[in-house]
Amino acid sequence: MRPIEIAAAGTMLTALVAGLVVPPDAVQGDLQRIMYVHVPSAWLAYLAFAVTLVASVAHLVTKRLEWDRRAGASAEVGVVFTGLALATGMIWGKPVWGVWWTWDARLVLTAAMFFVYLAYLGLRRSVDDPVIRGRRTAVFGVVAALQIPLVHFSVIWWRSLHQPPTVLRPGEPQIDPPLLFALLMAVVAFTVLYVALTRRRVELAAAEDRLLTTGGFDESVAGAAVSAPMTGEQR
Amino acid sequence: MRRYRWFIVAGLGLVAVLTGFLVANIGADLVYYRTTSEVVDETDPVGKGRFRLGGQVVPGSIAADATGVQFEVTDGVVTLEVDHRGAPQQLFREGIGVVVEGTWDGSTFHSDSMIIKHDEQYRTEDGGVYTPDSRFPSP
Repeated sequence: MRPIEIAAAGTMLTALVAGLVVPPDAVQGDLQRIMYVHVPSAWLAYLAFAVTLVASVAHLVTKRLEWDRRAGASAEVGVVFTGLALATGMIWGKPVWGVWWTWDARLVLTAAMFFVYLAYLGLRRSVDDPVIRGRRTAVFGVVAALQIPLVHFSVIWWRSLHQPPTVLRPGEPQIDPPLLFALLMAVVAFTVLYVALTRRRVELAAAEDRLLTTGGFDESVAGAAVSAPMTGEQR
Repeated sequence: MRRYRWFIVAGLGLVAVLTGFLVANIGADLVYYRTTSEVVDETDPVGKGRFRLGGQVVPGSIAADATGVQFEVTDGVVTLEVDHRGAPQQLFREGIGVVVEGTWDGSTFHSDSMIIKHDEQYRTEDGGVYTPDSRFPSP
């Protein structure tokens, strides 16, 4: 465990306690507590894909592969949390709105963003050469980021079922102080978790690239007696 | 082909989402719901067939019978009668936003589907009041 990972566990625990202890919403009751997972998940989607944008630009400028790895790691974490935001949104929507899903601008654009970044990860997997992969995915990472403001402002630009922003809005947050505290604690916890997860993933990506560029496994690790199992065509 | 598998999965998902959005909204001219003012302003809303109507439930207007609930919705300017068949949603109450789907006969909106549209405010029991979404009335 590293300091950042201990910090992630600590803030997560604090956020969990805060989310369970603060009073329920006057209208929605305890159902509103889903917000303490849903909103930070959506926030991480924005943050992660924004970092992918910055790292993609940095890769195009510097040509350094470490920026490409950061872009990929961030997108991977972002896709997971976009999926979590969609899932918790559906779990929240069923009892409160009365439907799991509806064809509303915010919901559709978020799902579109999820699939676009899934395609980004697919593109990363489909190119073996790190240099070509870096260039192609960096362009994808820059173009795909155009959706981020579209998703966030969709509830303001279009008439939608999804409510407009509560905290990230001009004027005062439309939320009482104890509820806002729990929400901000959750946002802090998810952000620290994002940093911890992305760092590990960048290191893993660096190890993968080393494995590919050095051309195979280091036999001294597993011992020369161990060989790869035979597969279909070789047999 | 194997290398592009996830690329294809994501592409199909994206196409499915966008197609669903178009199919679901094309009948309503790409508007998620109409306000009460828009329904009254339209030249022939009766001939529009099914559409969604959004508004705030008028306090004191709710009545229930064996088949459903009757109430009024408003956008702050125009108030319309709604006759809803079926059980209302769990959060249905005075002053909350609803999006009902059905047909308009010129005097009453006949709905068979209700979605609650809650606003962006989260308050504790002793906190502030719940106020209508004032962003979309057409004066």
